Amino acid sequence: MTIEQQVNAANEQVMEVLTRARPVWTDVRPALEVIPGMTKTTVLVPGPPLPVEKLTTPIRTAVCGALIHEGLARTKEEAWELVLSGKASVEPAQNHNCGNAASMVVSASMPVIVAEDKVYGGHGYAPIHPGPNPKCLRWGFYDEDVERDLVWFRDHFGPGLGEAVRHAGGIDLITVLSKTAGMGDENHNRQPAASMCLALQVIPHMLGLSDPDRDKMIEMMAINDRFFLHPMMAGVESITESMKKIPNSTVLAGMAGNGVDFGIQLAGTGNRWYTTTAPVIKGTFLNPSYTEADLLGYLGDSCVTEVYGLGGMSAIAGPAYMRMTGSNISEARSRTEKARAVSLGEHTFAPVPWDDFRGFPVGLDARKIVGYNILPISHGGSALKKGGQGGAGAAELPLECFKEALRGIYREITGHDAVER
Amino acid sequence: MNCDNILKLFQSELVVVNVGPKLFAEALEKQGYKTLQVEWKPVAGGDREMQEILEVLGGLD
Repeated sequence: MTIEQQVNAANEQVMEVLTRARPVWTDVRPALEVIPGMTKTTVLVPGPPLPVEKLTTPIRTAVCGALIHEGLARTKEEAWELVLSGKASVEPAQNHNCGNAASMVVSASMPVIVAEDKVYGGHGYAPIHPGPNPKCLRWGFYDEDVERDLVWFRDHFGPGLGEAVRHAGGIDLITVLSKTAGMGDENHNRQPAASMCLALQVIPHMLGLSDPDRDKMIEMMAINDRFFLHPMMAGVESITESMKKIPNSTVLAGMAGNGVDFGIQLAGTGNRWYTTTAPVIKGTFLNPSYTEADLLGYLGDSCVTEVYGLGGMSAIAGPAYMRMTGSNISEARSRTEKARAVSLGEHTFAPVPWDDFRGFPVGLDARKIVGYNILPISHGGSALKKGGQGGAGAAELPLECFKEALRGIYREITGHDAVER
Repeated sequence: MNCDNILKLFQSELVVVNVGPKLFAEALEKQGYKTLQVEWKPVAGGDREMQEILEVLGGLD
């Protein structure tokens, strides 16, 4: 078997996982109980690894907030000392099958959505979306109000959601995507239809909760049109866990930004990151006084949904997001066509009516991205350097991390580097 | 040797096949010539190291 044949065979296996997996939201549990490798002093952060001295302001604030929330420190200064001394361990969430959107971090007691792939058995995790309040840990803020919200999520909302989802027998995420196909969600940055569909399935099972805060929980679920993003991230993580066990594959299995660097993972080399400078997300600003100089580079794990073909890969599915971010329908079509040109397959369960009922492309192949020099475009919310959301838009995936990934997998397979450089 | 076909070719309308950058085709079109554009880019944008890697890993049509 030639190396090309080995890679092609591995990619076929990965594509089988990507297209046949069945991610189901099964539970909500404290992170320490379910996330592999989680300890009482671990804080999971978005993006590829970064020396703690280089952590951006919002992530640093969120990490310190999480350590205070866990009772490990009383002040931000004490918390930061724990980080610098190594007594608290800051690790990339995706290395633990967890996806943290924007500036969100996860610590031991925080409730996380548990998703299980019922076909291949992988498990994935993500914290619960905090709702429409912009002052939250997810956007790099921490004070008494944020702490009060974290406590409520830990003691009420998380356990309540877990009980409801278990009572429902789990929520099949593919069914949600199928039922809402053609409703305008691109399912990374826009998901009102999917969130409503999800609420339809979960809220009936919340009615029987004995928690005195039941009505507040139902309200929290019902008002959040972005809720579906986080169960979907957990769902994708449950799939990438199985993908990362298949050697020699050049298919994308993870990607994220930490505000400084942007990184990708290939199925064939598991949790190894290939990084380069993070691009800035360009589109629209939430406040007209903001400028590009106010923004961090790409930040967050939510683009792991794009590994599954959502977001920018299926831009054609979400015309309203294009409009909102100052773009148009022909650009949406172009984004999806670019992704198709470098993907190995297409999902069939959520066809887009105005795209000749085609599904969204899936299985980005690093060989095709580099070889054809076609760079897929990812959607995303932009983060402000000082904390908070700056806007939303899109960014071209940087070529250099795909080149680095090809160097990595070539070395893995052949045992040596290519000569030219 | 029968040169009729070659002579016919030179007497027929000129259609230029342009491979790669479209700039050359556009220059000819401005002078009234017909062109046929072939979209072609060197593998990996001409990056020799990547070409060497892709020669082994394959995956391009």
